Amino acid sequence: MAPPPSGPTQEDTASSAAASESPAPAAPAIKAPPPETPTAIRRRSYIVLSFWLLVVFLGLPFWWKTTTIYRADLPLDRMLEWADGKACRPAIPIQIAVHADSLQEEEANHLVRLAQHAIDDLNDFSGHHLRLQLAPRQDRPRESEQNPNSALSIHLKPGDATTAALDPYRAALDITYPLNSVPPLHSASSMLTTYIATELRSTFAEEQSIVSYLLSSSPTSKPAGLSPAVVEALEKRATRALRYAPTYHLTFSLFTDGPAPTTWDIDTAINEYMKPLLDVLGPIHNFTIDTQVQLYATPGVQSQTLTKDDLASFINAAEWPLSPSIGGAPTINFLTFIGNQTIGFPDSEGQTSQSWMIPQWGTVYLLSQPDTNSHVTKDALRQPMLTFGGHLLTLLGTPQSGSLPLRLSSLSRIRSADLLLRASDALGSLARLSRSLPSIAIPRNVADGVAKSIRHLEEACAGLGSSEALYHARIAEEEAERAFFEKSMVGQLYFPDEHKIAVYLPLLGPVTVPLVMGAIKEIKRLLQARKQRAQEAKDKKSQ
Amino acid sequence: MRFPLSISSLLASSLLLSPASASSGYHEQLNLRPLPLSNLLASFNFRSNTSLADFESQNFRLFPRSLGQILQYAGTRELHLRFTLGRWDAENWGARPWDGTREGGTGVELWAWLDAETDEEADAKWLTLTNALSGLFCASLNFIDETRTIRPVVSFQAEGDHPNTTLANAKLLHGVLPHEVVCTENLTPFLKLLPCKGKAGIGSLLDGHKLFDASFQSMAIDVRPVCPSGGECLLEVEQTIDMVLDISRSKRPRDNLIPRPIQGHELVCDTSKSYHSDSVCFPVDHLQSQEWTLEQVFGKSIKGACPLTEPGVPPVCVEVPHSRSIFASEGSTEIKSQDSASRCYDVASEGDFNLVLTQLDASSGDKELVEPEQPLLYADRSFTGYGQEHGGVQAILTNPGDEEVEFVYMESLPWFMRVYLHTLSTRISAASSIPTTSAETSAEIIKEIYYRPALDRERGTQLELLLRIPPKSTVFLTYDFEKSILRYTEYPPDANRGFDVAAAVITTLSPRKMNIRTTSLLLYLPTPDFSMPYNVIIFTSTAIALSFGGLYNILVRQIVGADEGFESPVKSKLKRFLAVITRRLTG
Repeated sequence: MAPPPSGPTQEDTASSAAASESPAPAAPAIKAPPPETPTAIRRRSYIVLSFWLLVVFLGLPFWWKTTTIYRADLPLDRMLEWADGKACRPAIPIQIAVHADSLQEEEANHLVRLAQHAIDDLNDFSGHHLRLQLAPRQDRPRESEQNPNSALSIHLKPGDATTAALDPYRAALDITYPLNSVPPLHSASSMLTTYIATELRSTFAEEQSIVSYLLSSSPTSKPAGLSPAVVEALEKRATRALRYAPTYHLTFSLFTDGPAPTTWDIDTAINEYMKPLLDVLGPIHNFTIDTQVQLYATPGVQSQTLTKDDLASFINAAEWPLSPSIGGAPTINFLTFIGNQTIGFPDSEGQTSQSWMIPQWGTVYLLSQPDTNSHVTKDALRQPMLTFGGHLLTLLGTPQSGSLPLRLSSLSRIRSADLLLRASDALGSLARLSRSLPSIAIPRNVADGVAKSIRHLEEACAGLGSSEALYHARIAEEEAERAFFEKSMVGQLYFPDEHKIAVYLPLLGPVTVPLVMGAIKEIKRLLQARKQRAQEAKDKKSQ
Repeated sequence: MRFPLSISSLLASSLLLSPASASSGYHEQLNLRPLPLSNLLASFNFRSNTSLADFESQNFRLFPRSLGQILQYAGTRELHLRFTLGRWDAENWGARPWDGTREGGTGVELWAWLDAETDEEADAKWLTLTNALSGLFCASLNFIDETRTIRPVVSFQAEGDHPNTTLANAKLLHGVLPHEVVCTENLTPFLKLLPCKGKAGIGSLLDGHKLFDASFQSMAIDVRPVCPSGGECLLEVEQTIDMVLDISRSKRPRDNLIPRPIQGHELVCDTSKSYHSDSVCFPVDHLQSQEWTLEQVFGKSIKGACPLTEPGVPPVCVEVPHSRSIFASEGSTEIKSQDSASRCYDVASEGDFNLVLTQLDASSGDKELVEPEQPLLYADRSFTGYGQEHGGVQAILTNPGDEEVEFVYMESLPWFMRVYLHTLSTRISAASSIPTTSAETSAEIIKEIYYRPALDRERGTQLELLLRIPPKSTVFLTYDFEKSILRYTEYPPDANRGFDVAAAVITTLSPRKMNIRTTSLLLYLPTPDFSMPYNVIIFTSTAIALSFGGLYNILVRQIVGADEGFESPVKSKLKRFLAVITRRLTG
């Protein structure tokens, strides 16, 4: 039997609260417990309080710190702005230099101004402007056109009739005009300016429709007035073209059904027929090349005349070693198949073809050659190589119309707009992902990548149409993709709540029940004590 | 010399031809050698090459493009890749084909010389190489991480003709995956690398069903630069497949694969046994020569010669005594060698080629097969000891010959096998009755030790020993180790199967160079109960909760005498209830 708490109890007995509310003698066998001393009560409060302090100020922060997932701060609003197209209104200004050395300065200025008006009147799409500019007069005009910012230069020359011709080797439009068609200084319009405007518009029509198609596929901008046929053609172009990459790997393969031929003059053929094209493409893409010869390669289709359905299964993917290059650059395959198969068109009898393009993959060329020939000469490779060259441009997404330099410069503008949109899209996806999955970890480098991507996007957007835009857009896209596909974000993606409960409940249940019960009891007691004190004070007052 | 005097004069002679014709591009040869107990060794050898200039400009013709790209990308100077399954029975089959240089330990083995200035650069390139090869050969080579990679010092020498400067800048790395099961998905990419794709030439015999049914099979890929004297340097890729087929098993028809007991009247009995009678039979059919054809053994016949092969190298050779008659398909020509131990066949470019080896009349006394050559060393390795904590390894190395053998014994052990190097000891015993001075201590047997201790979870143990065994004696090499306990997540899904320990590699230095690999071992580590973590959570939580509750209550409760205090409401209610019941019952 434990003795009742002794010590300081004696002095307070008279005034203690316990004494005043002596328990009703319900069970006479049990003695009333000795009254608790205020120190004991206070000590108990301290104990309960200190436990709670420990839990709240040490336990909870510790638990929070050890189980929390690191989420770097992402500029979510900014990212969504980019994705919604609010951060940047893509507008591609195209500088066109006008060389009119045969005209007087004032006349020329007036002509340019009028032509600009005519162009602005024709243009109904804001994302793509043509800006005319009078080139500084020079004695040697050939050198002045090196201005890197002008996409096209117009050479106005007096002639017999109004004609226009695109220079096949340079980005230049030669326009001849009869002398009398030059607008007088105060006239509001003239035949010549309208002619220049329509000519320019038709030159850039394809680029403009591609850009407006690109922008319309992003959510905010309304689709410009494009006819369904044009849209279909643009879609075709988009599905054929490979995704942009700074470097492409070209694989030239010679496949044959049997044991021959075993050698080919591929090195000289590439140098002669392919290299010039690749050199021209140099500023936009780099290329690496490899070649291979494969014997005993049975095609997936054996029939003599290949129908359209056969073309899809002609490539025997299981057996032919066409693995992509491992360097990270996308691979474009150019395949020469030695065999006498032909491609038949069901609607046009008798007409055959030799090659077909596989979208985003490459080209197959059927080359027929006598079986005994064990060597493919350079001349035999001429036609395949030229076909490959043409298809390469399509696979890269080059516009179809216009002269080659013009097509390439518009390719670079289209690519930068495309990359810009892709990067914005990736940023938007990342922002949405991060919002919708609160438990996903976001490492530091993702935030860095996003910041870098946004910075380059801004620069690309500001300089759209210039040559740096492509560079900035490329980096922005790379960084955005890298941030989105960050490996460590995927690992802990799914950690179900059931597991957390299974781990926490056995520990937290038994620990929290006494803690909470103790706290409730203590609070009850405190409330009661306060009430009592108030009562006592009232009593005292009323006395 | 790249190929030391080989098991057979035939191999040597055919290989000696090769340097002269190396530039012509492609070479293939199948060498068939019947082994005792109705086994057949088939050695396929394919060699193609490309000039280094073509390789640099990525113009691939006979050299496989997929492999070439990987080599360039990973800066590989020389590459050796092995896929091996089964065990070479040296006691019965004699010395290994190619002197063991074209085989690896069980599973996958890879070693390569990589162009790298520093170890970090070499590691990065090694990672690229293993990952790329893993994709190319559909093998788990990407699991060769730093814990399975070692840098051998004396065991491996570069085979190719490297300029001194490049080799000085090249780092040798070696990795093994003993757990990997070699199967059809590794053979398919292997065949794709061949110029004739297994559609013509000897490659058309290769078939996954037969290859992986073999008692022993090894696929090897070796890439090395070769500089013929006075010629342009070439990069040569050599693909080798060695397989030992059980002839009677291979001859089983495809549609009737289940082995059934032979009918009584078909049994071939040893009539010389004293107990032989009508009802008792000692079967000898496995000892007797059997008639077999290429088509029976491989399931198909050779579909014409590969047109790329250089003329002058016969694609098929058989090593049997000239006394045994062989019939070949029409259109082929037989070339008998001088030493009456082998013959070769030129295969017609069109049509199937088949060989029929007739059954030898047992009474004629002619030899059925060429006696296998005795190997330089027999090697055996096994675990000793018991329990889950400690263990030991014993390697039994026997020199059956009359010459002293000097060799390097290399082990690449996983980090969780903690080797006690101080327990490394050797014991020598003469195998025969010739009395030898058994006073030879381990110091005299082990000449040099190169040891790189393991670091937990970072790298494995590398142990290279230079040993010398006197003639006709056996050396027992033993050492002890401790089994470490792994972390929960480090156990594989089949943890109770055990962990594979890679084969030891033995490279003899004198009297001639050859390789031997022991079998791999299965190490059993203490395995936890994998429901343990949850049990631990529950248990510790309960313990903490109990102690916390007790402590908290003692601190917070008021302690009174047993006869003091309020009665608990439950108790009083219960009492009242009992009282009511007793009153009802009594009253």
